[in-house]
Amino acid sequence: MTRWLFGRVLISIGLAWVVATIVFMALHVVPGDPAELLLSSNGVAADPAAVAELRDKLGLARPILDQYLSFLGGLTRGDLGNSLVDDYPVMSEIALRLPRTLELIFAGSLIACIVGIPAGTYAALHRGGTFDRIASGAAALLLAIPVFVVGTLLVLVLAEMLRLMPAGGYVPLAQNPAQHLMLLALPAIAIGKGLTAIIFRMSRASVLDALSKDFVRTARAKGLAPARVLSRHVVRNALTPILTVLGLQMGTLLGGTVLVEYVFNWPGLSTPLLRAVEARDYPMVVGVVLTISGLFLFINLVMDILYAALDPRIRTG
Amino acid sequence: MTTTRRSFLQASMFLGAGTALPFLSLPARAQRSAGVLRYGLSAFPPNLQPWVSTGAASGTVKLLIHRSLVAYDSKGELRGELATSWSIDDQGAWVFKLRKDAVFHNGDPVTADDVKWSIEEIGGEKSTAYMRTQFQSISKVEILDPQTVRLVTKEPLATLPTWFGNYNTFIISRKSTTSEPIGCGPFRIAAQERGSWIELTPFDKFYKPGFPKLKGVRFIVYADDNLRQAALVSGDVDVIEYVPWQSMSAVENDPRLKLDAVEGPFMCVLFNGSKPPFNDPRVRRAVAHAVKRDDIVKAAFFGRGKPLEGVPIVAGTPWYDEKLAHGWNYDPARAKALLAEAGFANGFQATMLATAQYGMHKDTAEVVQQYLGAIGIQSELRLPDWPTRVNLGGRGQYDLAIHGLSADSNDPDGLTPYIDTSLPPNYVRSFGLSAPRTTAALDRGRAEFDLARRAEIYKEMQRAALEEVPMAGLAWRQQGYGMDRSVQGFANMPGALTGLSGATLEETWFG
Repeated sequence: MTRWLFGRVLISIGLAWVVATIVFMALHVVPGDPAELLLSSNGVAADPAAVAELRDKLGLARPILDQYLSFLGGLTRGDLGNSLVDDYPVMSEIALRLPRTLELIFAGSLIACIVGIPAGTYAALHRGGTFDRIASGAAALLLAIPVFVVGTLLVLVLAEMLRLMPAGGYVPLAQNPAQHLMLLALPAIAIGKGLTAIIFRMSRASVLDALSKDFVRTARAKGLAPARVLSRHVVRNALTPILTVLGLQMGTLLGGTVLVEYVFNWPGLSTPLLRAVEARDYPMVVGVVLTISGLFLFINLVMDILYAALDPRIRTG
Repeated sequence: MTTTRRSFLQASMFLGAGTALPFLSLPARAQRSAGVLRYGLSAFPPNLQPWVSTGAASGTVKLLIHRSLVAYDSKGELRGELATSWSIDDQGAWVFKLRKDAVFHNGDPVTADDVKWSIEEIGGEKSTAYMRTQFQSISKVEILDPQTVRLVTKEPLATLPTWFGNYNTFIISRKSTTSEPIGCGPFRIAAQERGSWIELTPFDKFYKPGFPKLKGVRFIVYADDNLRQAALVSGDVDVIEYVPWQSMSAVENDPRLKLDAVEGPFMCVLFNGSKPPFNDPRVRRAVAHAVKRDDIVKAAFFGRGKPLEGVPIVAGTPWYDEKLAHGWNYDPARAKALLAEAGFANGFQATMLATAQYGMHKDTAEVVQQYLGAIGIQSELRLPDWPTRVNLGGRGQYDLAIHGLSADSNDPDGLTPYIDTSLPPNYVRSFGLSAPRTTAALDRGRAEFDLARRAEIYKEMQRAALEEVPMAGLAWRQQGYGMDRSVQGFANMPGALTGLSGATLEETWFG
């Protein structure tokens, strides 16, 4: 088991290196010079001599292999370098913003579970009923509407027309918990809406599946109360596939936060990523992408370990 | 217990209400603390280095932290800041008299030594300053006394004082370091979070008694145009910049808000003059006459702009001439005739570079493409992201390009970076094009001190440019600030100076 685990970790590290290299190289191949872009912000004419001077200062004039090796050297020391734009350490930026993105994903998933699981269960229990039909239609609609449309509509109705909520932004939890939750609500709803639909469908399908199982019939036959049958035998068994889907989808949400964070001005990891891509701020782009892919790899590794723990065939075979 | 439909519904509703409660319990509004202005910024300043140009958002913040020798007032006139007066001496050098009461944020007085040091650093060999080349034409900075500096230039320079009205030419303390510039403006940075917000507090030793009037400014970044507008409407901020054109009427019609918009920046066509067909000025003129500008104003700017049928000279200035301003009027017959004269009676194919990243560039390009098609120029649009657009533009990898610009000042010399074809290649100007008469007139205008004669020279420059077409103007676009009605004293500066309007936050108060 230890040897197997060691192998898995090694593979993850290798994959992280591959990602870092691909991102680093791709960025340098894509047209756009960070020094020129910075000095010509807002469409002004940058002085070529000043651009050359800045390139030199930023170390961009060095051969690409040289830059790559010092990047890898930094990486082994856990140093992702500094932003080309303002010399700010990439690590500090990620440390500040990653928790906010994770919080958003967590809140979105929570909403999805709280709404999706009971609704899915209820719909399954009353299959073909009015609620089932309406909710299934709504789920299809939620999946179909792009997240930025929902986001913009929420801002228009709740912030601009009703003036119930701020249009977006962020207040630290420690500073003002009520305001923090208020600002979290809209982006969390926007990000959770697709997942809600997925969880609803999944819950409905797996509850239906569980309802047709022999052990449910047996439980009913031996005279258990319907509530007990539902909670102990149906929902409990139906939860496993729902959790698998949730685990997979949370990873996908990490990529889906880009639009939501932008629309609601939520200062997570997406804003620096967008800004960095636009400015060709190489160390920042590589740092953020590496963090996101690192999280993916980590989730995968944990999944592998969990599966292996559950099923010995995986670690031996 | 049995699960009935009712009990399940009740349980679900209770659960739902419980989770929604924290979100609905308070009327959510971002709080306004007394006297602190909340300003919706369009982008977070890449950095706040005092001499490096990093965009208008940085400029707005820098204008409050720093001061230069002069600045523009809300009417667009130059006024003294660190300098009380300035004049030309009999040898053609500029002499600036400094005020005695200005101090830096570290408490040191602002002296002629700091002015000399700042000017020499901007023009230094290792400088990355925006005005580097211009300042290198200052051959000597002499200190006549602790309050007087004399700037000797290689050539006579009538427009030199305007250089110090720019937001990239601040005077900072000699004790400054790259990471910590020490300014002497009305505010200083109290706190900031990279990418999100910046808080400024007033500097209590600012040299103008009673200023700034605000107790602070909080800049909050709203990169999305619509969200910035929503933040203003919902009262989360007091002022926003770059009101989206489609939302301008909504701001005007809202009884709680007001709009201050001016026509300053402009859209234009750039040419690759290094190869046929656009190396022929007749073909460039044909393009300039082919486009009906009204359609651009309507399509790209929702009517919030006006046609630009000549060299971009601001109306109402001494250099403006009504007839010259319409020298490239919409005249498709003439455009076709010019093409035929140049040997392209049957038209030709061309590539048109713009960017999809900014809607106004793309929309303008689409209108231009239609009108060029009507005279036989079939253009293929290329709409990469902005960094690629800059890269391709600088290397001349296009036939035609659509661009949006703003001059450095309302003086025609402010157009030099865009129409002086002797300058090295840059994505902001036409590539490999030669307009010698225009360039020569710009040089003469810069060296002439007499206003009447300068006006004449610049009219001549416009006549030359109308023939040589170093670029073709398309449309002026409005730049608008939206604000709460209680905000007083904040003004959108006229014409090209609109980007400097942040400086008026010094005089802003809540009425």
